[in-house]
Amino acid sequence: MLRDVTFGQYYLTKSFVHSMDARIKLILCLLFMVGIFFVQSFVGFAFVALFLLVAIGFSHVPLGSIVKSIKGIIFLLCLTALLNMFFTKDGNLLVSWWIFEIYDQGLIVAAKMLLRLVFLVMGSSLLTLTTTPVDLTHAIESLLKPLKVIKFPAHELALIMSLTLSFIPGLIEETDRIISAQKARGASFDSGNLIKRAKAFVPILIPLLVGGFRKAEELANAMNSRCYEGSTNRTQMRVMKLSWRDLVGALITVAVFATIFVVYAMRSQWSTITWLYF
Amino acid sequence: MPRAKKIVPTPSVVEPNVAIYADKLTFSYNAKSTSGKRALTDISLTINRGEFVALVGHTGSGKSTFVQHLNALMRLQQGSLNVLGHDLAQKKPNLMQLRKQVGMVFQYPEYQLFADTVLEDVCFGPKNFGVPASEHEQLAKKAIELVGLDFEEVKNKSPFDLSGGEKRRVAFAGVLVSEPQILVLDEPTAGLDPQGKKEILQLVRKLNKEQGVTVIMVSHDMNEVYENADRVIVFRDGCLVYDLPPQQLFRLENEIEDMNLEVPQVAAFCNVLEQAGITLPTCHNVEEVFAALCALKEGSNA
Repeated sequence: MLRDVTFGQYYLTKSFVHSMDARIKLILCLLFMVGIFFVQSFVGFAFVALFLLVAIGFSHVPLGSIVKSIKGIIFLLCLTALLNMFFTKDGNLLVSWWIFEIYDQGLIVAAKMLLRLVFLVMGSSLLTLTTTPVDLTHAIESLLKPLKVIKFPAHELALIMSLTLSFIPGLIEETDRIISAQKARGASFDSGNLIKRAKAFVPILIPLLVGGFRKAEELANAMNSRCYEGSTNRTQMRVMKLSWRDLVGALITVAVFATIFVVYAMRSQWSTITWLYF
Repeated sequence: MPRAKKIVPTPSVVEPNVAIYADKLTFSYNAKSTSGKRALTDISLTINRGEFVALVGHTGSGKSTFVQHLNALMRLQQGSLNVLGHDLAQKKPNLMQLRKQVGMVFQYPEYQLFADTVLEDVCFGPKNFGVPASEHEQLAKKAIELVGLDFEEVKNKSPFDLSGGEKRRVAFAGVLVSEPQILVLDEPTAGLDPQGKKEILQLVRKLNKEQGVTVIMVSHDMNEVYENADRVIVFRDGCLVYDLPPQQLFRLENEIEDMNLEVPQVAAFCNVLEQAGITLPTCHNVEEVFAALCALKEGSNA
């Protein structure tokens, strides 16, 4: 049933990566995501893979749950690989059939793109698997704080995010209940053509939306009656503190990606990367 | 060690007046993992047509899980179950027929209203069950009037414009419109005002007494249970622990307290009287107790 759907998919355990500061993890994750696009050779990808495996090893998260996260974007992966394969017209022509032509460079580009996306998803799911959604929101709030100077509502944004996350389990439960109730009145969701099936969801979506608004209103009333105000200097129950783990983790990651950037810079002519500045 | 799964077809000797027959029904959520806690263990019971059964037990005792087996919202895992002649051990029971015959009113049913008009919402069931469209309005009229609303007045209203109590009645009508033979109610009076409670219970009693609908009511209100049910089934940790008429069950004051249930006021009063040496005949409500006491007084005066 729907109950099995997990969002954020936090994996509860104790590990080096789990106890790292969420802010540091978030920054390192961003670094990882940017850095992965500067990897150009298969040796580089092997290097990143090694780093990723070590990080996963230190997170005590089973490799299976990380691999599972790739399943969600399998369609995107296939599409990207196919497009790269057919539209790269470089190198030697390998196969030609009707309007399709496959060059050896196409295969290489496709493989690299595929690796890039897979690593991207694995890296970011390592973040969500080892950090609770609440910590993540706090981290975002904390990192956006400097923007308050230009009146950016960092706290409100973080509040919206954490409220959204906290609504999800309740909404899933509610959906389950509504589905059962409509089924009991004879609704079926797996028969008929596509339009009929889409229409069958109306009796679920409308009560769900109505319920969502009702709950939001109740929450707003509860907050208002406690004089909630986001703008004043609120303190947090759990204060985030940096520790030696953050230093070690950050140093390793930065070292890895510094290497990648240096290799990238050395391999390519400076003139060819000037596009970065435009 | 993986548990052996066994679904047993119901014996063909189920009597025609039996509405629900369950034998050793066992169920656990996430059946794949062996550590999965059992939600139901060896539930065996028979409920006859026309009975008014209350299902009690505190949260998490398996009441809802059991009830959802009755119209195959949850599929049989172990044991056997027969509802109105539908053998749920079959791979593909006639779900439409079964769900038409077993009406289920969930907790806070007003939260499931969805259509533009009351009429449309009430007709959702008949439409799904393949009742000819020409009969829809007639059936809806009957159901809406049964729950005590004015058909002409509400039929074109949006269900979201009604008051809380009215919404609940419309939701009830949406189930009753299919003229179920078994009516399963999950806390039908939760969140209603005393008058609303009384009216809903009156309606349920009427359906039970006049139309012979088998009623299975999940409830936490023991006073409600005591006054209405012919039979009380108590669940505890997924097991059936008591299956008695309320007058007998609530005599077991210690056991009732043990299970975090309360003794209904009428029963408590009768129990106190009994300890004082005054034994009354079976009473269902305050009026009956009063009548019995009057009779007793006259008897002693004479």
